[in-house]
Amino acid sequence: MKLALLILGTITVLLISLFFGAADLSVSQTLSALFGQGREIDITIVQELRLPRALLGAVIGAGLGASGAALQGYTRNPLAAPGILGFTACAALGAVTALYFGFNQLVPLAALIGTALGALLILKIAGPRKGASTLILAGVGVGALATALTGLIMNFAPNPWALSEIVYWLMGSLKNAEMGGLMVCAPLTALGLALLLFVGPDLRTLSLGEETATSLGVSLGKVRILLIAGTALCVGSGVAIAGAIGFIGLFVPHIVRLIFGPDPMKLIPLSALGGAGFLVFADIITRALTGPGTQLYLGILTSLIGVPFFLYLAVKETRT
Amino acid sequence: MISFKNLSAGYGPCDVLQNQSAETKSGELIALIGPNGCGKSTLLKTLCGIIVPSSGQVSVGDKSLSEINLKTRAKHIAYLAQSREAMPSMSVEDVVRLGRAPYRGGLGKISTDGESAIASALSRTQSDIFKSRRFDSLSGGEQARVLVARALAVEAPILLADEPIAALDPFYQLSMMQILKAEAASGKTVITALHDLSLAAQFADRIWMMHKGKIIADGTPPGVLTAENLKTVFGIKLPKGGFKSLELAD
Repeated sequence: MKLALLILGTITVLLISLFFGAADLSVSQTLSALFGQGREIDITIVQELRLPRALLGAVIGAGLGASGAALQGYTRNPLAAPGILGFTACAALGAVTALYFGFNQLVPLAALIGTALGALLILKIAGPRKGASTLILAGVGVGALATALTGLIMNFAPNPWALSEIVYWLMGSLKNAEMGGLMVCAPLTALGLALLLFVGPDLRTLSLGEETATSLGVSLGKVRILLIAGTALCVGSGVAIAGAIGFIGLFVPHIVRLIFGPDPMKLIPLSALGGAGFLVFADIITRALTGPGTQLYLGILTSLIGVPFFLYLAVKETRT
Repeated sequence: MISFKNLSAGYGPCDVLQNQSAETKSGELIALIGPNGCGKSTLLKTLCGIIVPSSGQVSVGDKSLSEINLKTRAKHIAYLAQSREAMPSMSVEDVVRLGRAPYRGGLGKISTDGESAIASALSRTQSDIFKSRRFDSLSGGEQARVLVARALAVEAPILLADEPIAALDPFYQLSMMQILKAEAASGKTVITALHDLSLAAQFADRIWMMHKGKIIADGTPPGVLTAENLKTVFGIKLPKGGFKSLELAD
């Protein structure tokens, strides 16, 4: 019943998102255009702008939600999120480097390269036989380095226009969503999700502690590689297309856990579903609050919702 | 069943366990005793492959542990850690179910044999009466029983338990030792680290007494728990009249 509601909710949010946008289209016009009927311009707006935007939001949200659930399961820490492993910062560094040199078309590729290099560096530091805390420390360190280098690039931005491009990109948005972006993001996220789902049963065993899990046949090295690769694919592909969108990976798994229980094996697919619904919903709000001449960025909105939630969790954790 | 030869192991560059060898038989309950830091946990973790030895080798039957893959190893050796770690909100039955992890198929399905192993482990540890409760709602003694059930659910011929009765009251200490004794009686090799010398004397078929990374005495309880050994290893005297047995009330 709860699962049916979650699926239904996500599909409903996806459908509703098709009715929001700058162009004033009625419900019937939108539905007709979705199935290729009506005016040419309406079909273009719905099929080439709104539909890719909704699907891209769902794909990115799914990747972020699942990554958060997997990382919280692995570290057995509710405050863990994809951002903590530094992948968002590494992807941003790659993208900002491309923007600095004026290669705006290469931003997604550069972000993916940034994430891959970050993932390799974290794996190198965390090593095959070290614990979850070493992985987090490596992630935080690599993320901080990437953030510092991003700052350095902004410091030396060649002109104010390049700087504003970088700043707006870092705020995260789906406003430039199109089918091409979806075609890059969706397969990479699907691969990342598959890796995270594969590691789910081992994460469940890891709830007994790393030593007991090892004695039960769990290879910690394999889990770590799958987790890093899966998270890097999900987060990197999302940031590559839509910029930095934070905190979804933190609070979506929490809400899902409250409803469906703590089992990481179930939490990963359910958080993917919840993340998809939530990101599309947040994107609807940004569009609803965006007026002529103003633009509310998605990353800003998710952070504004996420940070108070993070602080609430941090206080709750220290009290228990 | 499980044996080790010239085994040295530890953490980082320092070996805690130094060049030790021993063999075991099926049906034996071996108590591993010795002061804190003498290498009991290191030996148990090395025997089940959590710690990779710096030299020497562990063998299960006639095969070296390093040649056996992780899943097969997990089916042969069950390990009960000292820490009582489990997901707090998980149900007791789900915690015990994790003992079947080495047998799990691709979709995490548990076989009929697996289900009966879980039911039997819950019943042998008398945990079946609270199998639907959350793990964190149980008392310390009950949690310890559940984790033993988790280790029993593996149905491995070798069971290694690291201080399973630490912090338990006398009733649960005795019940736990009876469970371990029954496991050994059913043909398994059980090696358990213990601090309670009376219980070691009462239940063990054999005692390994460790001191500074070495097994300095290996034999029956009366043969190992001598005045001289107790003085050397623990700095204590042999109690007058020897170690006393405890019994559960009817």
